Amino acid sequence: MDQFLLVALNGLTLAAVYFLVASGLTLIFGLMRVITMAHGTSYLLGGYIGYVIAKGTGNWLLGALGAAVVVGLLGLLIHQVLIRRFQDDDMRVALITLGVSLIGTDVMLATFGGTATQVPIPKSVQVGVDLPLVGQYPLIRLLILAVAVVVGVALTLFINRTRFGSIVRAGVDDSQMTAATGVNVRIVFGLIFLLGSALAAFAGVVGGSLFPLLPGQDGTFLLFSLVVVIVGGMGSVPGAAIGAVLVGLVSQFALVLAPTYALVLTFALMVIVLAIRPQGILGKVSAL
Amino acid sequence: MTQQVDRVSTSKPLWARYSWIGWVIVVGIAVAFPFVVDRPRFWLPNIGVRSLWLGIIAMSLVFLNRYVGLLSLAQATIAGISAYGVGYAMVTMGLGFFVAVATGIVAGTVAGFLVALIAARTKAIYFLMITLALGQVFYSYASQAIEVTNARRGLAPIKKPDLGFVNLNDITTFYFFVLALAVLCYLLCRYVAATSFGLALQGIRDSPERMAALGYRVNRYRIGAITFAAFIASIGGVVLVLDRAQVDPDVVSLGSTLDILVVAVIGGIGSLGGVFLGALVLTFLDNFAQDFTDRYQSLTGVVFIIVLLFAPAGIAGIGKQVKRVIDRRRKELSFFSVGDPQQEPPAAQSAEEAITKGKQQ
Repeated sequence: MDQFLLVALNGLTLAAVYFLVASGLTLIFGLMRVITMAHGTSYLLGGYIGYVIAKGTGNWLLGALGAAVVVGLLGLLIHQVLIRRFQDDDMRVALITLGVSLIGTDVMLATFGGTATQVPIPKSVQVGVDLPLVGQYPLIRLLILAVAVVVGVALTLFINRTRFGSIVRAGVDDSQMTAATGVNVRIVFGLIFLLGSALAAFAGVVGGSLFPLLPGQDGTFLLFSLVVVIVGGMGSVPGAAIGAVLVGLVSQFALVLAPTYALVLTFALMVIVLAIRPQGILGKVSAL
Repeated sequence: MTQQVDRVSTSKPLWARYSWIGWVIVVGIAVAFPFVVDRPRFWLPNIGVRSLWLGIIAMSLVFLNRYVGLLSLAQATIAGISAYGVGYAMVTMGLGFFVAVATGIVAGTVAGFLVALIAARTKAIYFLMITLALGQVFYSYASQAIEVTNARRGLAPIKKPDLGFVNLNDITTFYFFVLALAVLCYLLCRYVAATSFGLALQGIRDSPERMAALGYRVNRYRIGAITFAAFIASIGGVVLVLDRAQVDPDVVSLGSTLDILVVAVIGGIGSLGGVFLGALVLTFLDNFAQDFTDRYQSLTGVVFIIVLLFAPAGIAGIGKQVKRVIDRRRKELSFFSVGDPQQEPPAAQSAEEAITKGKQQ
């Protein structure tokens, strides 16, 4: 029982990181109907920038903010220069962003090297807390879980309750009509791309505090965020949360039960969901 | 570059009627290649053979994109599964060359069929993501399943046979063998595209609803096409494994998948023959870029993005793009010269359409 709870908690904290990455992806897709294949690159770059800042200043929060701002602005630049013109051509956007990720991987390898690094976290959270039934559990993991819940709730409220959110939702349903009512959709698109990239970078700092930052992580996290949004349903933030929890739990339990095939089992989850519900658990049929 | 099968054209323009001359020249250059290069021992394996198998695998991707409208990122994986099939039969089970090659091709084709079963229900960007994810499943399996794939160490050695009348260990002979295979694959793709099966595929690409209403089972056709493309990719995989003499997880890594995509896009994602130009660009970058920069991969990425931004139909489409610009110029000129109302010929396949757009709504 204890073992079961421990694995479940590990799965949930892993899901927290997956959710943070995938929420940016699903947000961008929800509004713009394009997938950015450079999302994993944003994650890893965010992690590295957070590492540099947090190591220099000794302040984790500053690192997270700095990474989000820098990568967010970079995302905005990429959107303006490379993506905006091909807004309606999702295939071309996917391919161009794949090219961006190709360059990003190479440049990051040249800049930060091939050895593993980890974002330094304050001593005060490097402790264990006593949980009923589970026993000692690292505080940092619980904090990350809390952060993900807060971000998820904030994003949902932001989309469902604010004026900007209603513009975003209108844009999701019909961007041309939204533009016709006087909304500058282009600016909204740019802002969402900025927000999505910033979320990925923030996730990179969070993930980089738990797991090592390595070349190749960009590809891994791109794939996991793709699987999360495919399972959860593209364009839906609650869907991303459900997808992340499923993927996180399955991968952790698979790691215990069949370590060699953990990744295969995780992807098998995606195959099963696709076979039953091709649009994902909370996806809209029209999006397919 | 070539005339379009899917366009009923009674009066082809002159250049299209004589396009076979272009092909004779291209094949002629490919045949003369071993005899004109200064260092055959470098050029033949690193540029020649490698370009050919990259091209064959990329051709399967282009076939799917052009005739079915699906952009698959699983082609490198399928080729890799075929390579693993050859390796497993030859190294682990100790079977002969022909049995091993047959095993590889069957393994790759069956893998393609399974991919099709999972992915054929989805379209456009979903298909892209799912094939990418499936490819990575196999990568993680290949790098961990010690008893089948020997994990990271891979399966080796895979020897090229001496068949008596041809000795594939001789690099020039092997090059010609692969060249012949590449030409055969190209002709097979063209043939399949022109059969009633291929025509139905193009109908499904253009309007799946209408074809379904006409009684075609759209999904079955898609599955058939993906399986056929897997067969072509498997042939590429066999050449790959013979060329590398071993198979390890790198063959199915994300990098290899991107290599195939880069080859297809640079060569021209709407052109079956253009892939070999793209493959040449990639192998040249791979072999010579390191002479002046360490960032070979960045350079590839930059070339890739530039092609996507400015020449979406790739190198093979540049001719048409230039022709369109000239036509437009001529039309503007004739606008000023009175009494010569020259009609602009209807643009063929526009470069913009070369990458099949994913229409989602």
